[in-house]
Amino acid sequence: MSWNKVAVVGAGLIRMGELFDQSYEQMAAGAFDAAVASVDKGFEPAQVEAAFVATQRGTLWGQEGIGGNTVPTAIGLAGIPCTRVENACPSGADAFRVGAMAVASGVHDVVLVIGVEKMRDKSSEEGLLSRAAAGHPIFTRGETAPVLFAPFATRHMHEFGTTREMLASVAVKNHYNGARDPYAHFQNEVTIDDVLASPPVCHPLHLLDCCPQTDGAAAVLLTTAERATEFTDEPVYVAGFGVATDHPYLHEKDSFTEIKATRLAAQRAYAMAGIAPADVDCAEVHDCFTITEILDIEDLGFFEKGEGGRASLEGETSLTGRIPVNTSGGLLAKGHPIGATGVAQITECWWQLRGEAGERQVEIRNGYALQHNAGGRGSGVSVVNILTNKRA
Amino acid sequence: MTVRCLGVGAAAPRTRLAGADVAAAWGRNPTGGRVAVCPPDEDTLTLAWEAATAALAAAGTDADHVDAVFWGTSRPPFAEGPSLAFLTAALGCSPHAGGALCAGSAHAGMDALTTGADAVAAGSARIALVVTSDALVPGPGTAFEGRCGAGAAALVLGATGGTASIGARVTRCRPHLDRYRGDGEPVLRDLYDARLFREEIFLPTVTEVTNALASFDVRAWSLPDPDGRLGSVVAKRTGAGAPASSAAYAAVGDTGAAAALLGAAGALDAPGLVAIVGTGGGRTTGVLIDVETPVAGAAKVIDALAGDEPMSYTAALRARGLLEPTGETVPMGVPPESAMFVRGADEMLGLLGGRCVDCGTVSTPPSIHPTCIACGGPKLEPVPVARGGRVHTYVVNHTMPAPFVAPLPIAVLDMDDGARLMLQVVGDGHDIEIGTRVQLVLRKYAHERGVPVYGFKARAARPTGAAS
Repeated sequence: MSWNKVAVVGAGLIRMGELFDQSYEQMAAGAFDAAVASVDKGFEPAQVEAAFVATQRGTLWGQEGIGGNTVPTAIGLAGIPCTRVENACPSGADAFRVGAMAVASGVHDVVLVIGVEKMRDKSSEEGLLSRAAAGHPIFTRGETAPVLFAPFATRHMHEFGTTREMLASVAVKNHYNGARDPYAHFQNEVTIDDVLASPPVCHPLHLLDCCPQTDGAAAVLLTTAERATEFTDEPVYVAGFGVATDHPYLHEKDSFTEIKATRLAAQRAYAMAGIAPADVDCAEVHDCFTITEILDIEDLGFFEKGEGGRASLEGETSLTGRIPVNTSGGLLAKGHPIGATGVAQITECWWQLRGEAGERQVEIRNGYALQHNAGGRGSGVSVVNILTNKRA
Repeated sequence: MTVRCLGVGAAAPRTRLAGADVAAAWGRNPTGGRVAVCPPDEDTLTLAWEAATAALAAAGTDADHVDAVFWGTSRPPFAEGPSLAFLTAALGCSPHAGGALCAGSAHAGMDALTTGADAVAAGSARIALVVTSDALVPGPGTAFEGRCGAGAAALVLGATGGTASIGARVTRCRPHLDRYRGDGEPVLRDLYDARLFREEIFLPTVTEVTNALASFDVRAWSLPDPDGRLGSVVAKRTGAGAPASSAAYAAVGDTGAAAALLGAAGALDAPGLVAIVGTGGGRTTGVLIDVETPVAGAAKVIDALAGDEPMSYTAALRARGLLEPTGETVPMGVPPESAMFVRGADEMLGLLGGRCVDCGTVSTPPSIHPTCIACGGPKLEPVPVARGGRVHTYVVNHTMPAPFVAPLPIAVLDMDDGARLMLQVVGDGHDIEIGTRVQLVLRKYAHERGVPVYGFKARAARPTGAAS
């Protein structure tokens, strides 16, 4: 029996990319407008009672201290309660969970969850690469984002015989899907040879094993399950969610072949939703790097540990596979505007469960879609949200 | 009181700059030979640490039994600052260890040796550690540039034990300029007149001191040789015969304050008198060591100086800080003078962990681990993390902003005491894979706002003859 106390009644995003011509506020307004426009029976912005804003790296546009409270003004709703949620790469996913809890608590009936991230207002050197100099002066020095995931690739390859071709097959599949997603940053297909021949970024990961730096914004509108039909006859319900933490530094990890926080978060989400991994029709998972998706699909229970690489290479996660994964193109092709990423994944789940995903539409048999992010230094946190199109 | 020699150690960078490359850059006639040059993450302090660690191991002495450390280097990492305190912390010496930093010229190594011997003779130190090191920074285009190298030697002295003793000494001072560096100047100045230096400054004092020691039955000599010729001239004029120090000079070049002891270290491997002559800053000193049977560690000295990783002249200039990239470099997240460095000073330099009293797991570093990562227990005792281990998994980062230098390998390590670490790995990553045996070595992680930031890195263990 799923939780189903809260419903999604609108969702939308802006085209992801290097949006040099748009401000943080303009991106937020674009995503909000898209979510409002998606509501089947119409929606007045003034109906929003509170907003939860996911922005992870305010430093990348010079606003580390604020970020949350510029959004109400940007969307014409100055005055409403608005809270910024920051929880590493799962910030958007966690803002969604927090927004759902705000509705379920009875405090607010209609809540906006919006993720906004400016990744390209600073140069790569000043932005993501500067992570290499942040944190502990010795234990994290040199730690750019790929350093947080590439050690898992090295070890997964060592223990399970996972190959670079298997990693590459994830990028090939997600670019194929991205080429069919009008919102994706990259809308071109790539081949396994393209991935293998791309320049090394952080051995064993090469350029096309890595997601790009993307600006973007996405928004969803939540209300109570009881009021959902005021807005649409096809609401999507929050079936369950789970959050888990793990030691944040890599040298504290028990294992380099799993993301423990994902396994724990998934267990909690499945229990809350009352389903098993096999009940999931499609999943949007955290593929910041190709290896991450391979770990995800194992840790989320779709495949046995060690089988993720083989399953990917054999097409079991493609649009027509046993469990389609990252139908939107994922972080690898759609992009990874951090705070917006989880909310954009929810949007893809909303489209898939409502049969609105166009060329990317997968077969919905059981009525469940799963959304997942992991991050926070060495995947110190993971969030899983499960959505359903079934009222009960 | 007798001053005994308990053990000796040496160290040098593995990277080599060819004298011919330096000559070619300045359109000069090719000269032979190669010198050791520090890569960006090594300097006089890391070399001192490596030589001292080897000497202590050879002597069988725990660092925390050392009563005083005497470090001689012409250019300590701080012009003013905690150079010696950094070294003793990284070595794991007692916080009560005494000693002195001797600096300011290439004679600093002899100052450290004589002062250390005097401390033992006076009874103020039962065990004194003498460390001499330098990584010379010659001016580009100067006469001795192609001979300026890097290296270190260390000697453990004690009141008892050992197989050799410190003997006679002689010093000659003259208030003359040779190579020097003014206050705030980054590089050594060229000689005003090479012939003047040779005939009126270098040869008279070095010959006088050498002659004074030649009245003893000296078996092996360490003689100063800043240009590759002057050492043999001194030997010829004094009848000293081919100096034993030529092996170290050939291996690593002129090592400034380290040259005298480094030139003698290998010769401590056989009985007889070894004469050590060092010069610089208007002073020349000679010291005798009477070897009864080989001094522990002496046989490993030449191996410790081995190195065959080529370094281009431009790479050497860059490593010496004389060629800098245009534009801004990425600063550290926290300034090296800030609270995090005050809290973490001992644990970073000494690589400490917190061992759980309940389950034995080591959590690293202690300042961010109030509780055990395995069982959550609140009782942790500080311990030095094991210095040997194996690669559990690794990456090689190819995409780095300045001031980082790519490729940069980073590894997760299973240490011999069960601790896990993630540290940078020395080199370009070609010599590591999962399971590779590594040793931890002190290296410079960053240099910012005038502050060098030191910590341990992993290095693939040498099959044989390892210096550390």
